[in-house]
Formats: sequence, structure tokens, C-alpha cells
Amino acid sequence: MKNKIKVFRAMHDLTQEDLAQAIGVTRQTILAIEKGKYVPSLDLAFKIARYFNVTIEETFTYGEEARMIDVD
Amino acid sequence: MKKNTFYIFTGCVAVALLAIFWYSVELHLPFVLEIAIIIGIGAIYFARRTVTDLIEDERSARITEKAAMRTMQVFWVVFCAFSIGAVMNMLYIPRFTRLPLSERPAEMLPPEILPPRTIGYIQLGLLCLMIFLYVGFRLYYARKYGDWETDEE
Repeated sequence: MKNKIKVFRAMHDLTQEDLAQAIGVTRQTILAIEKGKYVPSLDLAFKIARYFNVTIEETFTYGEEARMIDVD
Repeated sequence: MKKNTFYIFTGCVAVALLAIFWYSVELHLPFVLEIAIIIGIGAIYFARRTVTDLIEDERSARITEKAAMRTMQVFWVVFCAFSIGAVMNMLYIPRFTRLPLSERPAEMLPPEILPPRTIGYIQLGLLCLMIFLYVGFRLYYARKYGDWETDEE
């Protein structure tokens, strides 16, 4: 599962700590998600997407799409 | 209560419990330690409820859940295997012999490999080892779910 959280964070000029506080998780969780070490729950994924005012599909890329991006 | 204050409080309770442990061992008063453990864990539980900072989220809950599940999966196999063996060791099992009736012994008892007291101690030891097993699994899953990832910010 790939994600663009880091990109959206940079666009909104947010630190991991800011985002973590805003959506109610620890900074370590944001770091783990960004690095692909942890796949968030649907609830948390929605929270992140809504915080950046984008859709889940824009934030997270799943399965084959992620593999295709890797190949590109 | 702040997160760091809670961790300091937990450390103090742990040190106090260790001191009470030795005190109760010296005085041969096990109930002192039993009461102290109940009070100590109760105090930590209530202190945790007053923490205003975020100390647990879904990732840490998942780490705890996975570690606990794996610990149980490993522990129950080892514990049950040993316990079943121990029960079989203690139970009287009839042995059939081909000796003529006149030469048969009156009662055939199985050889006692482990005395019941030792079996209890080994089971107690296995329970204590479960704590180390849990800590091991917790470290493993914490690493797996990025607890010690370096920050790029």
C-alpha cells in the first residue's frame, strides 16, 4: 500500500506531529504509515483523506496500481 | 496528567513493588506482596485514565494485540504439552503383563519421573517465561510496525 501523505503534508506545510495531533494518533504512527510499515484502518484512512480534503483513492494506492507505479 | 509524569509514576510503582517483594520474602509474608500488587496495578490503571496526552492509538493497540496473540499461541502449546506429560506421569496407568498369575506383582506403579512439587515449579517457571516471550514478541512487532523508524523531517 503506497500513499501520498508526505506529499499532502508538504503541500499543507504540516509536520508529522501537527497531522498526528489533528487526527488523534501518535507521530510514530504517521511516520510508520508514510514509510509503508503500517497500513491504517479504514477509519484512520478516511480521517487522513478528509483532513487533506481529498479522496481515499487519491491518498492511498492499493495492490496492482501500487505495483504498476513501482514498475514505472 | 502528562505522559512523561505517568511513565515516571509507573516506574516508581515498579520500584516500590520490587522493594515490597524483598520485604515480604524476608518476613515470609506473601499476602503483603499480593495486596501491594493489586494496589499498585490499580493505581497505574487509575493514573492511566487521567493522562491527557495520547499514549495509545490503533497502531500501538495492534502491536499489543498481535504480541499477546502470538504469545498465547506459543505458550499454550508448550504449557499443555508439559502439563499433559506431567499428568500422565502422576496418574496410575495399569500395565498388562504376560507373567503367570502367581508371579505377578500385587500392584504396578509407574516410575515417578518428576515429583508433583517439581511439576508445579516448572509450570510456575513457564508462566514467568511467558512474560519474556510477550516482551520479545512486542519488540518484534513494534519493529515490524515501524516503532524505531528514523525521521526524515
